[in-house]
Amino acid sequence: MSDLRDLYQETILEHSKSPRNYRKLEAANRTAEGYNPLCGDHFTLYVDVQGDAIRDIGFQGSGCAISKASASMMTQSVKGRSKAEAQQLFRQFQELVTNQASPNGDKDKLGKLTVFSGVSEFPVRVKCATLAWHTLQAALEGTQQPVSTE
Amino acid sequence: MPPSNLGVLSFVMDGIHPHDIGTILDQEGIAVRTGHHCAQPLMERFGVPATARASFALYNTVEEVDALAEGLEKVQEVFA
Repeated sequence: MSDLRDLYQETILEHSKSPRNYRKLEAANRTAEGYNPLCGDHFTLYVDVQGDAIRDIGFQGSGCAISKASASMMTQSVKGRSKAEAQQLFRQFQELVTNQASPNGDKDKLGKLTVFSGVSEFPVRVKCATLAWHTLQAALEGTQQPVSTE
Repeated sequence: MPPSNLGVLSFVMDGIHPHDIGTILDQEGIAVRTGHHCAQPLMERFGVPATARASFALYNTVEEVDALAEGLEKVQEVFA
């Protein structure tokens, strides 16, 4: 049986209780809405993109501990990065939570995002972990429709 | 049967999302349903993002009710 502590790591619980960058960004020039209708997770992402760089990012909304912590840590990880770097992180994160990361891949680029590795043992929670990332992608691509993980 | 005798119990826990409740109970071998239950307008009406729902029927035992109660204590432990 998979251990609950692998899923609900201290870092994840802490971020879900006190999410970082949890604010509406007045200077945002990109916004996107992410929605998971089955869970009821619902987030709005605010991004300030200057040229190719994510200068600032914030989010608001409600969701389970996994989705909220993931949104919080995603904003920390991509702030100050280029759009291409953010996309690459998303790909690596997706591989991590679906357990498809190659053993000699550069998982260390994910940094503390590796606390989400336990999610791969809980397939129904993968959508919670990736919701904020899908929403980020929509914001960067300028998608007008709310993103749904269903 | 009077309506107060229904075996379907929807509930929420302070500061803990129903999906997290569901995952932890599942690990304890207890199946509940979590989410909107196809009743989004009602969720909006009560201002909750989702609920957890336990359903009891004739074949459930008192031990299983106790297991649910213990499972909910475990949920509180994880999120303490």
